[in-house]
Parts: sequence; structure tokens; C-alpha cells
Amino acid sequence: MKITIKKPGLLTTIQDLGRMGYFSQAVPVSGAMDVLSAQIANKALGNDEDCALIEFTQSGAAFITESEGLMAFSGDGAYLNTDSQRLPSDRPIFIPAGTNLYLENNKSGSRSYLAVAGGWDVPEVLGSRSTYLTAKIGGFEGRCLAENDKLSNTGELTHLTQSILDSLKGETINYPNWSIARNLFLPGNQKIIRVMPGREFNWFDAASKTAFLTQPYTIGNNSNRMGYHLQGMALNRAIDGELLSTAVTPGTIQVTNDGCLILLMADCQTTGGYPRIAQVAAVDMPLCAQLKPADTINFKEISWKEAERLYLQFKFDMHKLSLAVEQKYGVG
Amino acid sequence: MEPITANDLTLYPISECAITVEFGNTIDEGLMSRISRFNRALSQNPFPGMYDTVPAYTTLTVFFDAVQVIRQNDLNGNSCFEKVSGYLENLKEDDDSAPSSESEIISIPVCYGGKFGPDLQYVAEYHNLTVDEVIGLHTDAIYKVYMIGFIPGFAYMGGLNDLLETPRKDTPQKVLAGAVGIAGKQTGIYPLETPGGWQVIGQTPLKLFDVHRQPPALLKAGDRIKFDAISSKEFKKYQSKNKVAPLVGRG
Repeated sequence: MKITIKKPGLLTTIQDLGRMGYFSQAVPVSGAMDVLSAQIANKALGNDEDCALIEFTQSGAAFITESEGLMAFSGDGAYLNTDSQRLPSDRPIFIPAGTNLYLENNKSGSRSYLAVAGGWDVPEVLGSRSTYLTAKIGGFEGRCLAENDKLSNTGELTHLTQSILDSLKGETINYPNWSIARNLFLPGNQKIIRVMPGREFNWFDAASKTAFLTQPYTIGNNSNRMGYHLQGMALNRAIDGELLSTAVTPGTIQVTNDGCLILLMADCQTTGGYPRIAQVAAVDMPLCAQLKPADTINFKEISWKEAERLYLQFKFDMHKLSLAVEQKYGVG
Repeated sequence: MEPITANDLTLYPISECAITVEFGNTIDEGLMSRISRFNRALSQNPFPGMYDTVPAYTTLTVFFDAVQVIRQNDLNGNSCFEKVSGYLENLKEDDDSAPSSESEIISIPVCYGGKFGPDLQYVAEYHNLTVDEVIGLHTDAIYKVYMIGFIPGFAYMGGLNDLLETPRKDTPQKVLAGAVGIAGKQTGIYPLETPGGWQVIGQTPLKLFDVHRQPPALLKAGDRIKFDAISSKEFKKYQSKNKVAPLVGRG
């Protein structure tokens, strides 16, 4: 399958599940912001979970298929449309050559993912296909996708992907009647973000700690793949003191010297020197990835033990999901 | 999961897949050497599922695959945190100070002043020194890499002469790849073009970060380095010698 980008949209990059093993060199993990939607798009095609996908930010992008192939779309940043219909998400779709596709505004979220059978074919850089714009590495020539860029799939199809393709292949757009129920993997209230106390939680006074866990916070305009500025009640310190820079990771909530909150996201630095009031539970990071400026959230405290249990459960559920798709096609 | 304190170490989670070992809370050469030794011992004896470590001023953070760790029956505990903490507490620290790794000093050529070091004049005036005195003081010292952070390959280095201690700029400005800067008591080199707040006194033609090299970062925590002043002519010669493809992958 081959596509040509007609309109790049706001920020369109190639991502996979991230670049591991170079944190000591200050290379961030990068990767899909919403790992749930990214994994669902790949799993719907029978792809290996580390296949490269396109990450779209909100709507506006458009592309045309130069040859036929199998795709899957997931996430809340946009709807995927042809000239004549809206395509369903979270399932494999066979698309013939010469189909015009475009992303239409979906107010419920921020990011969407387009997976292709075998994954998008870009070279691995330091063990990952994820784009990291600051260092201009990975993805498509280390940059955002632009008009007239051409992308192909790898052609390394699993048996499962081949079976799905064979079942849908034809002259017209075709998809099965099943889809992956993405909402089953998300909490009911998607505006409550679960957090665990950070190492410097007690550096803040009692009123600030209470405010952090009870007051709403709004996503600021100055928010991107590196981090979100959170607007709300400023936090006061009970303990003065400088933190010597130490490791941070996506999900870390830092408090700047003027009491403002920054939530670190996929392209964040590997080290930081601001006190860390909390860490977002990994299972709620996909919710954070779908937030956009002016969205309002509340934080809710859970224990580190509970966070680990939820994370292991999520990994187990993702594995079971792969097995379920395999079973449907009698492969595996 | 309250932080665990054992053998003067404090261990705490920073995510479901990472635990920080805290060795102290001040910048101290002895402490940093201990972190290096601990890091070396750990990389020689990794536990199953461990995939990276990040040394910093007072901490070493250990990253792991939680699914792999929870399956390790050899590691004691009911959670990844307990299993990994237990392993780290019982790790035999490498007592050998390994003098061989201390002996080598990495030489970094730097062209000072002019367009290579737009803030050299400011730094000189700030301290009532001549430009040549600043260069002399900066090239005389042996520096130690405390930490790699901020952007890929950026080395925070200690050992700056007190006479050169200069505050950061109020607003970050565009800085070129290879820029050598001063901020407070530290000196550092920018591997990439980026906004930065350090006072830039010179530039090195060396590539501090290159994905075609393994490891891609030229420097690592614990390295000792020295700056050598070069002319703009030598700078250009280095650049043509070191022509490397831009920071993108093949294809």
C-alpha cells in the first residue's frame, strides 16, 4: 500500500511505541502519545505491536491511496472520511487505489492513529521508528509529514494480517462487522486523571496539596508532545530548596518556581530540576494524550501499588486482545 | 509503597517501570563516583527486564519492563517495586575505584569568541577580565561530566574556575550545535541547535551527538574533559574532516 500526503494537517508524525535504551544519553522515549489507540490500530490489523503508525493531531490532514491496501484508524482527534462516507474506527478496512481520504474534526479528542498492514516503512533510528523533532531523528526524515510525501507499508505481513487482508480484498472499500471496543479499556469518567504522590509531594503546603487533588486544572495553549501547561490554582511550597536535576519520565507533574504545573508527555526531557508533585498513572496517559487546550481535568490520588496493578492488568488485556483477533481468523 | 531506605540508600518509584535510587542530596564528587560504580555494577549484573539507567547528580534511575519483572520468581516480593528494590538493595557495589577509567582525559577543541562565542565579551566584562584571561581560565581546568540531560548528548560539567561563575540569561536564545556555555558553576556543550540560556563563549566542531555512532553521545557521566583553544581556520578544517550525514536515518 502506498499513500501520498495531500495536506499535512497540524502536526503529523510517524510514531511507534517509543525509543528505549538511550535515556542515559538524554534521548527521550517519544512514541505514540496515546498508546492505547496506537495499539488498537495495530492489533486490528494483526500487526506486531511495534509497527510504525501515523499520529495525526486534530483534523485537517488529507491523503490519497496510490495503491490498494489494509488500514486501521483509531483515536479521538478526528474522523476518517472518504469523499462519500465516514469510515469506522478500531477495525481493519480494505481501501482500493485512488481513494481520497481526509480527517474531519472530532471535538472529543486530540490525536488519531493510522496503522497499515505491516507498518509504515521508515528506517529505524536508535532502535525505533518514532519521530523526535528536536533532534530531527526517526520517522520520516526526522520531520513532520508534508505535502507530497509518499509513504509505503513494509510488506512484512504476519500470517494474521495476510488472513485479514484476504478476507476483505476486493474492488471497493470493505470492512468486517466487528471492531475493538476501545472504551472497554478506558475509565467511565475520562476527565479524572489518576495520580500517585511524587517524591517532592510533601514539599508543598497542606492547602496546595488539597487544591491539587480537588481543584480543576485546564490545559494551556502552550501544550505539545513535550508537555502540557496546566492552568489552575498555583501551588505554594512548604519547604524551600533546590532540587538537583534527576530523572523524569512521561506522566511526571512538575511544579515551576512560580507554582505552575507542567505535565510531561512523550517527548519530554530525560532529566528535570523542578519538584515533582505527582506522577500520572500510566494507564491514564492515553486520556491525557487526548486532551486539548481549554479541556479541564481533576486529579485523583491512587497508591503506587494500585497503579502498578492497573498497568500490569492493561498489559495483560492488550495481550489477550491480540489472541482474540487471532482466534477470529483461526491463526496463532 | 512508601520509599524504602536501606544501607543509606533511598529507593522510590518514579513510574510503574522505573525506580530511583537516591544516594544523597548535595553535589559531591565522591557521591557521583559512587553512583558511577553502582551503575557499573548494575550494568554488569542486570536483572531480567532491566533496559536502561539514568545517572544524575545524586540519583541513579533504573528502567525496566514491568511484565518481565513480575514474572521473575527469583526476585522476592509481590510487586515490581518490591522485586526491583530488593535486587538493588542487595547489589554488591563495585568497591574498586577503577583508576583506568579516571586516567583518560577527553580533549575538546573550541574556537572562542566572535560568532563562535557571542557571549565571551559579556562574560569577560562581567568579571573584569580580558577575553584572553577568560579563555585561559576555561582551557586550564579539567572538567568532570556530572550528567547527560536536557537534550540528546548534552553534558553538564563541573570544575569551572570560580572566577568564571556567570548567571544564565533571563531569556533563552538560539544556540548553535557545538556551542560551549557557562551557567552558574557549570559548563556545558549544546549538541543540537536549540534555544538555550547559557552564556556561549565558544563552539566546538566535534559532533556531541550522532545517531550513526554507537553510543551516539560523545560524552557520558563520569568522563573527564579538557578544552583546547583553536583558531577559526582550524575549526573549519575539523568541520570538513568530520563531515557526517545530518541526524537522520538511512533511506
